[in-house]
Amino acid sequence: MNPLKSRHAVLLARVADGRWHALEDDLVVGRGEVSRRPDERLFVSIDAWSDEAFDRLAEAMLAELPRPLHTLVDETDLDLTARWLRAGFTVRRREWEYTVPTAPDDALPPTGVTIKAFGRAEEAPLVALDRAIRAERWPDLPAEIFVPPALDLSKYAVAAVDGHYVGLLRVAMVTRLPRIGLIAVRTDQQRRGIGRALLAHTLGALHGVGKTTASAEVSESNVAATALFEGFDARRTGSNLELVVR
Amino acid sequence: MPRTAKGIELEGTVLECMRNANFKVELQNGHTVLAHISGKIRKNYIKILPFDRVLVELSPYDLTRGRIVFRYR
Repeated sequence: MNPLKSRHAVLLARVADGRWHALEDDLVVGRGEVSRRPDERLFVSIDAWSDEAFDRLAEAMLAELPRPLHTLVDETDLDLTARWLRAGFTVRRREWEYTVPTAPDDALPPTGVTIKAFGRAEEAPLVALDRAIRAERWPDLPAEIFVPPALDLSKYAVAAVDGHYVGLLRVAMVTRLPRIGLIAVRTDQQRRGIGRALLAHTLGALHGVGKTTASAEVSESNVAATALFEGFDARRTGSNLELVVR
Repeated sequence: MPRTAKGIELEGTVLECMRNANFKVELQNGHTVLAHISGKIRKNYIKILPFDRVLVELSPYDLTRGRIVFRYR
């Protein structure tokens, strides 16, 4: 470790590429980290046991890292939010966390629309749809942490019109609580009930394997998505704030 | 308790989700601490639920406070 500078009792050390420690009497009292998301945005996090350690880490990281920088906080964590605001960050957007009850799917998809169940989609047209949707609507898509080298077909349900893939829904079967990571329909096929059919199919499939609820995050500004989830009796369980400093 | 460069870390089980993004966690040694989740866990959208097994880093200033740094599968 190379202590960079000292002020009061807290020392800072850059311990690896993109990682900092704050030290006090040889104890790690704070830790900062930066990571790059698939959309190329830089996200930082700081865990510190004192305001001083947080402020020192924020000061060092903001001085060294290129802007803009983003971070994510639970909106009810007022102390952490205040620390980031003090460091110069501002609120960029709010994401609602939803818990969605599953239920048997007894609804028919819109006329002319076919829903392909999880694991039944063909890879090449799914990859093409995934790319097309990213190109169309990337700023509105939910946060993506990791893009696997290949699509896992078992995680996708797909909507098709005349054999052409027009919408998709991705589910991650994380511990105990499945997460609906993405639901998206091509712009020229929206307002036809395709998203609703995909979500109904997914909640039915999860119900069929014994899952009673799923989770999802929806941007507050995405009125269509919030209406879609709330139409399935989704309940808001929390909210995250995405903060940015430019 | 193991004291490493990462601080004092203990495994525990989440008992309750509290207000203000805090969790009540029962540690292996029987003690209960109030813990929040690490920024890395939040950045990765990892949900913490009651009965989850987690790794908690204890505060060097207050051993009744902690931070959840890992959730076991």
